Amino acid sequence: MEHIAFVIEDDEDLAGIFTEALIASGFQVETIRDGAIAQQRIKEASPEMIILDMHLPHVDGAALLKQIRTEEHLKETRVLITTADALQGQMYRDLADTVLIKPVSFALLRDLTSRYKRK
Amino acid sequence: MASNNRVQIILNSFLEVSSVDPDDARRRRLLNIILATTGIISLLLALATLFIIVAKITQYQDSIFILIASFVSLFGLIIIYVINRYKSGTLAINLFLFLLMIVITLADDPIRLVNGRSLYLFILPIIIAGVLLGSKAAFIFYGLSSIEIIILTRYVELEPTESMIPIISFLLPTTIIWLSARSLEQALRDLRTINTDLDKLVAERTHALAESLTREHIEAGRNQAILNSIADGVVVFNADNISILVNPALSQLTETPVKNMTGIALYEFVQTGELSPASRGTIIGLIEHPEKIEAGVRVEWGKKTLSVSIARVQDTTINENIGTVAVFRDVTREAELEKMKNTFVAIVSHELRTPLNAIMGHVEMLKESIFGSINEKQSAVLERIMVNTRRLLAMVGDLLDEAQMKAGKLSIQKQPVVTTSLLENLHNTMDKIAKDKGLYLTDEFDPNMPEIITGDSKRLQQILVNLVSNSVKFTEKGGIHIRILRSDKDHWTIEVIDTGSGIPDQEIPRIFETFLQFESFTTRQHGGFGLGLSIVKQLVELMNSEITVKSELDKGSTFTVTLPL
Repeated sequence: MEHIAFVIEDDEDLAGIFTEALIASGFQVETIRDGAIAQQRIKEASPEMIILDMHLPHVDGAALLKQIRTEEHLKETRVLITTADALQGQMYRDLADTVLIKPVSFALLRDLTSRYKRK
Repeated sequence: MASNNRVQIILNSFLEVSSVDPDDARRRRLLNIILATTGIISLLLALATLFIIVAKITQYQDSIFILIASFVSLFGLIIIYVINRYKSGTLAINLFLFLLMIVITLADDPIRLVNGRSLYLFILPIIIAGVLLGSKAAFIFYGLSSIEIIILTRYVELEPTESMIPIISFLLPTTIIWLSARSLEQALRDLRTINTDLDKLVAERTHALAESLTREHIEAGRNQAILNSIADGVVVFNADNISILVNPALSQLTETPVKNMTGIALYEFVQTGELSPASRGTIIGLIEHPEKIEAGVRVEWGKKTLSVSIARVQDTTINENIGTVAVFRDVTREAELEKMKNTFVAIVSHELRTPLNAIMGHVEMLKESIFGSINEKQSAVLERIMVNTRRLLAMVGDLLDEAQMKAGKLSIQKQPVVTTSLLENLHNTMDKIAKDKGLYLTDEFDPNMPEIITGDSKRLQQILVNLVSNSVKFTEKGGIHIRILRSDKDHWTIEVIDTGSGIPDQEIPRIFETFLQFESFTTRQHGGFGLGLSIVKQLVELMNSEITVKSELDKGSTFTVTLPL
């Protein structure tokens, strides 16, 4: 079975680390570094997991999160949000499956996502 | 009434005499009264005599004599009056007395005069002399009268002893007149002395008052000059919290004229200018409770940020509070700079952290053999990279915490905290570091400690780690012992006991200052910014708690943090 994951992160290094972590967990990863493309892609596809950076430039992370949660075809998708702001994390912990406060450890992300993988 | 006044005025203009010497004026006035009275009597006498003559009532010769006498008297009186009016001194009085003596002498023929009642007319000049000329004059005229009586007695060839009785009996009234005149003169003298003294006193007092008023004016002028030149805004409130003094600087700061801010109650005062509601409350609170001393409280007034200091004004003589002084300093520039600095630090910290986290992430990936297996040596090297990166991250984190706390932007969370996790995490962080230095890291957990408490786990952890890390830095042998205990019903304590080099007594208050590492140690030995303890102190304060230090040189130190439950 194919496990598809989106990593929506604009920072090059972090995008690389998150992608590697998910690959290590056994996912097929689509790395999206542009907010507009991300908005487009989530309308089209139904990934199993989305790693969403709340600090995307020119995009309101909260709005994107809400949009993901309202999309019918993304009902089953696990959403993990990453943020540097603990308070923001607190605010959105109901909409997200997990809140990860940056810096996010590679090992942690790998182990967490492998646990979330659909059997 | 008006006619009465007019009569009085006319009378006064006849009788009053103007003179430089008030005694002289008094005497001459009295003389005028006597002259007037005598004049009226003479006139009446003349008229009566004329009537008698015309009516042929008595003998012509006698009456003529009286008539002539009274006219002569009248004439004399008028001359004396004129002299008295224009010449000061006793001339007029003496003339009058002289005239009186003549009249008395000629009033009757000598025999009848010496033997009869008319002799006692000589009393008159004595009395009048005493009153008009003075007490001694009474005796002088007594003497003159006596001499005249003796002469007359001789003239009429009577025994001189006949004249003794009248002369001796004159002594009594003379003495009485003399005494009365004396006491009157004395009384007048005393009165005059008192008046002069009073005048002098009044002059002195007026002078002193004028001097003190001038001095006060100069003082006030000086004080006003000082107040006007103070660059900070000053307002003084009296004991009823009414503003009694506002200096020009405050008027400028608040863009309100001085007179609009003076003489108004505190609650009205804070409505002037554009004080934010929060600042209004702050100012009211500070002024109503100046005993709660807070340094450098900031308020926003209009577009300016002001730092305000309050002090009570005490009257030291009566040991009472007579008011409150508030001084406002414009710190808008400083506040802006601080804000810029803090924003800068926040941005820089964030920017520094991002690449550091990237390094950590990549090194982690290597270590996890994602890109190929790693041998032991490579793993150790990667570990060193991670340790140092973590150190860098910690330093950046400290910087950011410090900046946030200084900007008042750091908030303490209130979440459930699992107390045992505090020690667990501490060991995870510090075990290796302690072991590497050959130090033990033991702990003690009070069974009476509740399992879950409310607080900020991240910050509590930070306090623990910073204290232990600091102790490790300054301990070469032995180790660190940590105790977490329930100290009483409402408090719990964190104790960090080390066997380090100790802190000299006078340094103890300074160890919580930022960037401080005191001189006895090489700074390079210990690394870091020296922010650790400063952050601990500020966090402890933000948690409304206390931290105390006990230390003995070469024995060790104990840091105790007491926190509310």
